[in-house]
Amino acid sequence: MLTQFEHFAVTEMMGKPDNPPRANGTLCFGSEWERSSFGMALALAKNGFFEWDDFRDELIASIKSWEDDHPEDQSTWNYYDQFLTALEKAVVKAGIVDSNEIMAALAA
Amino acid sequence: MQDRFQYRADREAYSAARVRALEALLIKKGVITDQTVDTVLEFFETKMGPFNGAKIVARAWVDPSFKDRLVTDTPKAIAELSLPEGMAGAEGEHMRAVANAPGVHNLIICTLCSCYPWPVLGLPPYWYKDPTFRSRAAREPRAVLAEFGLSITNEVEVKVWDSSAQIRWFVIPERPAGTEGLSEAELEALVTPEAMMGVAISQAA
Repeated sequence: MLTQFEHFAVTEMMGKPDNPPRANGTLCFGSEWERSSFGMALALAKNGFFEWDDFRDELIASIKSWEDDHPEDQSTWNYYDQFLTALEKAVVKAGIVDSNEIMAALAA
Repeated sequence: MQDRFQYRADREAYSAARVRALEALLIKKGVITDQTVDTVLEFFETKMGPFNGAKIVARAWVDPSFKDRLVTDTPKAIAELSLPEGMAGAEGEHMRAVANAPGVHNLIICTLCSCYPWPVLGLPPYWYKDPTFRSRAAREPRAVLAEFGLSITNEVEVKVWDSSAQIRWFVIPERPAGTEGLSEAELEALVTPEAMMGVAISQAA
């Protein structure tokens, strides 16, 4: 009965390691870039550039790798840092852009 | 300590720059437009979310006849309000409201799946899907509510409403005492998703 992609995408993450932060029934973003990362990933999956599940696999892998690198002090944790890393990987894997283009855009 | 804050600020700036670069690149390539992010997030921020439920409940608080209609025919009553389209659509059309009253407290659960009236309540909290919550709330609702910090005395009947694919329940909490002078908009701010699930009550600010 999940008729809306947006609803499906977020509900599917619930209770999983990649569940996004939320408060009082809404998504919660700490800054504009977090909101933009989320919106871009959702829009790209919705428009068929990649599968949401494939993106989530990248995200779960990024989270795991961060946790492995920070076994004790997790005070620098930010969900959307991992989300952004996963998004950069997903757009390259999907062949939308290549990593050189991302580097060049960042340097511009 | 200061170093950590420094690190955090730098990383924030770096992440923000990465997002701006990626967004600009995708726009340049015609993959997205500068409206894409706002359009997709509008869904969560202004169309479907707990702000809709808050409007419905606040109207019920100020207008007892609306409240009666809301309980009798929920979709029809919701249609009276100018809420975003889809409120009474594929997922919202089987919505049913139950009203708390002195002597009755309502709690919504979904033991079979995790049906949730999300156009009015927003995204469900993580525990809503938890099988332990679902089964315990049906079996011992008072104990579960006490764990939420809500103690319901024995004089008050607790009714548990189990959502299904056909019916999605939500609770109209009681209007808090001491809010007689508040406007409808001010009342909306007192309505939380938790109160509309029945795991909390509405309180004056």
